[in-house]
Amino acid sequence: MAAAGLCPCRALLTGRGGALRALCGSVRGLAAGPETHFGFQTVTEAERREKIYQVFESVAKKYDVMNDSMTLGIHRVWKDILMHKMNPSPGTLLLDVAGGTGDIAFRFINYVRSARERQLQRKLKNHQNLSWQEISESYQEDKFKLLGDSQVVVCDINKEMLKVGKQKAQHLGYSEGLSWVLGNAEELPFDDDKFDVYTIAFGIRNVTRIDLALEEAYRVLKPGGRFLCLEFSHVSNPLLSRLYDLYSFQVIPVLGEVIAGDWKSYQYLVESIRRFPPQEELKAMIEDAGFLKVDYQNLNSGIVAIHSGFKL
Amino acid sequence: VPISGGGSGVVGILVRCQLYSPQRALQASAVLRRVSDEQKKEPLASSSQQQFDSHPADHQPEQEPQGPRPSYTGQGGQESEDYESEEQLQHRILTAALEFVPEHGWTAEAIAEGAKTLGLSVAAAGMFHSDGSELILHFVSQCNTKLSDLLEQEQKLVQLGKAEKKSTDQFLRDAVEARLRMLIPYIEKWPQALSILLLPHNIPSSLNLLTSMIDDIWQYAGDQSTDFNWYTRRAVLTGIYNTTELVMMQDSSPDFEDTWRFLENRVADAMNMGDTANQVQSTGEAVVQGLMGAAVTVSNAETNRRSE
Repeated sequence: MAAAGLCPCRALLTGRGGALRALCGSVRGLAAGPETHFGFQTVTEAERREKIYQVFESVAKKYDVMNDSMTLGIHRVWKDILMHKMNPSPGTLLLDVAGGTGDIAFRFINYVRSARERQLQRKLKNHQNLSWQEISESYQEDKFKLLGDSQVVVCDINKEMLKVGKQKAQHLGYSEGLSWVLGNAEELPFDDDKFDVYTIAFGIRNVTRIDLALEEAYRVLKPGGRFLCLEFSHVSNPLLSRLYDLYSFQVIPVLGEVIAGDWKSYQYLVESIRRFPPQEELKAMIEDAGFLKVDYQNLNSGIVAIHSGFKL
Repeated sequence: VPISGGGSGVVGILVRCQLYSPQRALQASAVLRRVSDEQKKEPLASSSQQQFDSHPADHQPEQEPQGPRPSYTGQGGQESEDYESEEQLQHRILTAALEFVPEHGWTAEAIAEGAKTLGLSVAAAGMFHSDGSELILHFVSQCNTKLSDLLEQEQKLVQLGKAEKKSTDQFLRDAVEARLRMLIPYIEKWPQALSILLLPHNIPSSLNLLTSMIDDIWQYAGDQSTDFNWYTRRAVLTGIYNTTELVMMQDSSPDFEDTWRFLENRVADAMNMGDTANQVQSTGEAVVQGLMGAAVTVSNAETNRRSE
């Protein structure tokens, strides 16, 4: 282990990848140790569903704390970027799949509220000779429906995650325009052509049949609707990729053990990221589901990527 | 190995399907018969697997989610047949959005409203830059097309002898006025559009549209124009157009009278400048020749002095 610890320095100094690659191999070897197996292991679909359910059941309570500590809080920036990309207009109906703890939903509500407020201010600026009474009336009237008719539906397969999300919503005072639905991304409990935007943030990786989930996304979206997926992806920069691997396999499970008391779940999380199809492959899958104008944006040189597509 | 694997897979399906429905079992047995007919060739095993992907059998290894993909591409193909091309649809959305510009400005909101009128989701606005540049550029190119159609019609009338040929200054004035009048419905929001067009990443396309419009005007002005050279002609008209546009945005006179007066004066100036430019050119040439002569004389004198 001490020798392995020295390896990266030497490799960095000589600029040769061989030693590092060997190190990565050893890391992987450790990762695929006797008791932590199922991220890289082949299991049946039913087993996989059950295991993933267990993972999220056990991490639900510590999910947000873990996200912050694992990504050093950067996941908030990623989600903000996703929201900025979505740029929802008033009246948008959003379906957030696998959004158990409500991170995307709350951001959506905040975004729409502030957009409405800006619109309101602009409207008032245009009618400058209003009386004070009129102004206060218009404020009151609009404050009521500040969310417009925008709504967000959070759909998650995991009861525990939903429970945490609902508690959080109550705690933070979100209630209007927000609903929680227990459902599987592979067979959504919604009608066709219903939503304007479909988001799935750090969720599609855990869906067993990604193709089915994409097909369902296509089905529930209105024509012109947008599919947005925020997910860990593949790092192209070789040096960063090595560092990232080191961090993922050596640090994250330890953090998981220390903070959430659960090594296995975080081991799985890391491994599942490596197993997830890279950017271009996922793009092709989205296109195969029928989406048009599909593109993706890498964030932090590909640690995560935002894929976007339209149902036209 | 693959032969026996495929065979056992089919048998597995058969067993499971009998549990589900007799119809499926029938299909499965048909496949099984085919398999035995073909002496369990490998490709058949895979095709039978594809046939049963419609109900997710849990025996399928999870690394192969691409099984039923071919059917999706078929669906996608149908979808694009229903609609015109992606680009045409985008143009339709932008055209519909123009109606909402006076209210919402050159924004994603206007595009969203436009998409709504076409029966599309408001989220379709996400296809375009959020700064609204595509909407503005679409508007500009639409106006340019309208202008060149207008000028072409005029030209035809002249050729048929139904209208009198205009003098160059009259022609330029009318063309620029016609083009600027297209901005009137959006005049409140036009300063915003100009500022967006001047953003660095929009400059190449906006400049391109501007020069093509100016070229069109000169093309239809045709042989009437005389002695400017090509570059100066373009530069002069571009200057006239842009300054008049700026005047127009500040203009509060009824029907923009002040603007059209300004335009008339600038075109007249340009015409005068043409004459002046000619004079300057000939004077300049004479001066340069004189200087060259002097230089040659001096250098000759110098050489002579050295060789002495």
